[in-house]
Amino acid sequence: MLPDSQTIRNAACAAASELTGKTVKDGQKLVSSGLIDSLAVLKLISLLEEKLNIVIPPETLQPEDFDDLALIVETIERAGKAGK
Amino acid sequence: MAFNSLSYLGFLVAVVILYWILPLGLRRVLVYVASVAFYASWNVIFLWLPLAVAGVVFVCGRFIQANSATARKWLWIGIGILLALLAVFKYSAFLLSNLAGLWVALNSTSFSAASSFVFPVGISFYTFEAIAYLMDVRQGRVKMPDFVDLCLFFFFWPNILSGPIVRARELMPQLRFNRKFEPKYAFEGADRIVWGLVQKNVIANVLGIWVDRGFGAPSAALSTIDSWSLAVAFGLEIYFDFAGYTNLAIGTARLIGVTLPENFRYPYHAVSPADFWNRWHVTLSRWIRDYLFFPINAKWRGAPLPLYVSLIGVMALVGLWHGAGWGFLLWGTMHGVYLSAYRAYETARGEGGSAGKDSGGSWKAVWQIATLVAVVVAWVPFRAPSLAKAGSIFGAMFGRLSWRPEYGALFYVVTLTVALLCAVEPLLTGALAEVDEESGARGLSMFRIVVRPVAYLVGLILFLLFDQNYSQFIYSQF
Repeated sequence: MLPDSQTIRNAACAAASELTGKTVKDGQKLVSSGLIDSLAVLKLISLLEEKLNIVIPPETLQPEDFDDLALIVETIERAGKAGK
Repeated sequence: MAFNSLSYLGFLVAVVILYWILPLGLRRVLVYVASVAFYASWNVIFLWLPLAVAGVVFVCGRFIQANSATARKWLWIGIGILLALLAVFKYSAFLLSNLAGLWVALNSTSFSAASSFVFPVGISFYTFEAIAYLMDVRQGRVKMPDFVDLCLFFFFWPNILSGPIVRARELMPQLRFNRKFEPKYAFEGADRIVWGLVQKNVIANVLGIWVDRGFGAPSAALSTIDSWSLAVAFGLEIYFDFAGYTNLAIGTARLIGVTLPENFRYPYHAVSPADFWNRWHVTLSRWIRDYLFFPINAKWRGAPLPLYVSLIGVMALVGLWHGAGWGFLLWGTMHGVYLSAYRAYETARGEGGSAGKDSGGSWKAVWQIATLVAVVVAWVPFRAPSLAKAGSIFGAMFGRLSWRPEYGALFYVVTLTVALLCAVEPLLTGALAEVDEESGARGLSMFRIVVRPVAYLVGLILFLLFDQNYSQFIYSQF
């Protein structure tokens, strides 16, 4: 079973902050603002998989699916699968 | 009918006035007719090509949407047909001439491989939009519309020639044409069009005269200072040429209330090779990232070897997308090497953030200058008529040093002035936007009633004065 939205949001915030070296806030654009690039998105996916113990198949995703915390939650709820 | 021609200005004024007069239901018909007529004005025999592309997307997209078990197969069938069309019209002459060269080298006999393929304008751009459409359908991001809507998406005249490369989810909802007229559409559209005309006809075309002469001159004639100045001048010419085209495309769409995505974010202010590609031809970079680079590296989870191979390989393909020629391939490969080297440095540095962007003042300036120099050097094979000529210019830039300028002072003064304009462009744009915002808050201000129309008039006079330097947009050849 996938974690709840708040848990995903907290994990996303921690992972994005770790990648950027800055605290990421709600609504802050990550990809479209150039704060992280497509390779950093792949790292973000790996970090989220690790933190949430889920699998995110990235083949059907695009970097802008990870553009802010709300979108990350939405993307994981849509595409993520429980257990690794 | 080029965007920077008087006939286009006449066409545009007539279509825009009719568009806002006509009832909502007839606007789509008008845009349809105008779009088809505009594309036909370039080459009527290729009218079938955007239709064929729409047909491929329509059929394959329907199959992709209908059955997830066979979706992958139909996606690849669709992409295969679209790439085959692109290959036939864009690369067959290049392939044949290289095969002929190889035949002659191996057999010491002559071989004629003359090709009579004519290049259909815009094919590289709408083919990429079509591939993106199919991939978005496969990923469940867009639904298949009816065939008539799909044709309008590919024929839409403001961006059919050279982009911006739009996504279906950006443009399709706007093709309902159900907005009411607002003065901001006229102001924003006219601003972009007039600035685009000045960028193309005044700045790019004037620089182009010297650039054409320099790159066409005998190899030994260029000194070190000339070679560097020429590379800089071409970098400025292609920027103002393509940014000018893009402003005309975005401005045209804006006049009928449609918003197209931006293509440039002050590219010569980039602080790293990666930053350059976030600022130069943004809609192409975005396409490459979303539909090529990200899926490839997602498969390998960003592992180093596939990453560096894919960076160089993908950028080499970006080079070839611009044109069938070894110079374009070298240009793309050079950018792939820049990006790989930068990525290797970032990995070795091992900190969060980005080396160029997050550096302090003087280090940021060093990154900015290094990026600019690397980009300018790579423009040489892109513009040179042959690899031999590019090699000769590189020789003058880095090897046989000679500081004797061959051009008149005017060339260096104009190039420097345009470079300075490029340097202060973000400040100018910001200041103008501020004035506009303030004047907007006061309704019909002095700025809107007097300054703006005068600026339009000056822009149009400049356009007419420099119209004798008329030349095609560089990117319309791609």
